[in-house]
Amino acid sequence: MQIYLPIAELSVNLFFLVGIGGAVGFLSGLFGVGGGFLLTPLLIFSGVPASVAVASVTGQVVAASTSGALSHYRRGGVDLHLAMYLVLSGILGAVAGVAVFAVLREAGQLDLVISVGFLVLLGSVGVLMLIESSRAMLKARKGVVVRERLPNQHNWIHGLPMRVRFKKSRLYISVLPVLVIGLFIGFVGSLLGIGGGFIMVPALVYLLRVPGSMVIGTSLAQVVAMMAVTTMLHAVQSQSVDILLAFCLMVGGTVGAQFGASAGKYLRGEQLRGLLALLVLAVAIRFGLSLIITPSDVFSMAVQGIRQ
Amino acid sequence: MMRLWVLALALLALVLPAQAERLVSQLSNDSVEITSSFDGERMTFFGSIAPDAGATEKFVTGPFQVVITIIGPTQVRVAREKTHNFGVWLNTDQVQFQNFPSYFHVLSSARLTDISDITTLTTNAILPEAHTLAANTVDLWKSAVFGRELVRLMTEEGLFGVQENGVNFLSDNFYSARLTLPSNAPPGAYLAQTYVFKDGAIIARKSEGFSVRKIGFERFLALSAVQQPLLYGLVCVLLALFTGWLGGVVFRR
Repeated sequence: MQIYLPIAELSVNLFFLVGIGGAVGFLSGLFGVGGGFLLTPLLIFSGVPASVAVASVTGQVVAASTSGALSHYRRGGVDLHLAMYLVLSGILGAVAGVAVFAVLREAGQLDLVISVGFLVLLGSVGVLMLIESSRAMLKARKGVVVRERLPNQHNWIHGLPMRVRFKKSRLYISVLPVLVIGLFIGFVGSLLGIGGGFIMVPALVYLLRVPGSMVIGTSLAQVVAMMAVTTMLHAVQSQSVDILLAFCLMVGGTVGAQFGASAGKYLRGEQLRGLLALLVLAVAIRFGLSLIITPSDVFSMAVQGIRQ
Repeated sequence: MMRLWVLALALLALVLPAQAERLVSQLSNDSVEITSSFDGERMTFFGSIAPDAGATEKFVTGPFQVVITIIGPTQVRVAREKTHNFGVWLNTDQVQFQNFPSYFHVLSSARLTDISDITTLTTNAILPEAHTLAANTVDLWKSAVFGRELVRLMTEEGLFGVQENGVNFLSDNFYSARLTLPSNAPPGAYLAQTYVFKDGAIIARKSEGFSVRKIGFERFLALSAVQQPLLYGLVCVLLALFTGWLGGVVFRR
């Protein structure tokens, strides 16, 4: 069944849209990531213009993360205080990212920056997570008891000034690293068209030492707020949010996220992180190959506007 | 001798009006409406070649060839080329084309090169390459290369095309042609130009316009995205939050 998308100006199979929304939603519920880093390339590959894909996926990420964030919130797994700091600095980063996005698109180098950005970011995060999670899995197999957090397991980041107490996460840390993380994710997220959950989760775990029970819920809450703001920015600036496309993806995404969240209960934290690392690495390798392998067509085209 | 000249002139006077043909043509629909289930639209062009109003001849004599060009709203398009630098493929060169048609199809009753010469075809913008002349580069060779590649890319997308058997003659002077507008045909004003050729020269031409436009809910959405962007974005976010919340409620156990 074909459905016409009024902003993308083409018709796509409805079941295909709901299907990929559902599949990516399942993964987003499972890992607590928005899923934008999978959905955006998938849509571009199926013929949706890149700007419409990026802008509409932000709307879908809001929906997919809302159900996840709410279910974590009911279980008490969201540190709203911490999320607020991350969101406020993230909005600043997003505004900067949208500006850089426009400059790069004009110069014709957006594809390159997106490919390199995905490669570097996903590659390094994926490798780090894979190493950490396989270590944890090996220790668990050997029977070594790993406590979630040691009382004096603080690093230099925690010693910075302007310390704030985050009661829910049982943290008393400087706000500076929190603000820097938020700023960075807001910038990269709007530039690459992703929610940034896959950077947020390891940043919270390894840099801030947020307890595992709080990580995914807080990350999801931050993604909801950040992506809501980014959707508004896209709607006002580029006017390329396709509400029909976003809605089809949302329906699939929210259903998928529920199944993903319940499937996640059967897996342990390090197993989840290991799987997410593999997924992230696969996408990174795909982007890396696109830079190295001789393209099937060295020519490409783009629309730069309508002249009357 | 004088009589011969008079006779010749009289003969010419008889012959000349007979060459004045006119084209009577019609389109199957003058607007294509994009609805939620829009999946392309089939259009029919038909017409006949008749003697002109002042002509003395009652019949037209062929053989005629008919060429129909269908041209969509214009855009600014760029063609980019990737090259291999330091092991990485980068976009290094680009040429911008002003007033480039977003849709261009040619239907003809024979091979274009058999119907007329390249000059006539190019000056009347019948060949797809004729639209790549407004490039923003002074390098003629570069604009020719990028123009040809752009036409090829557009053809792969189904937005450009040449169908050299697209026009069928049902009798000596009555033709019909079919065109399927693809689902990714950009909305806007379209122009269909019909040319009648005889012995390689254009003897009659006619242009008809039609529009491809969104109607109903699709039109409402497209308009509000441009006219009320803030409200539109807000509705998107609220819809997303509501859908997410509803999903959580429905699946709550």
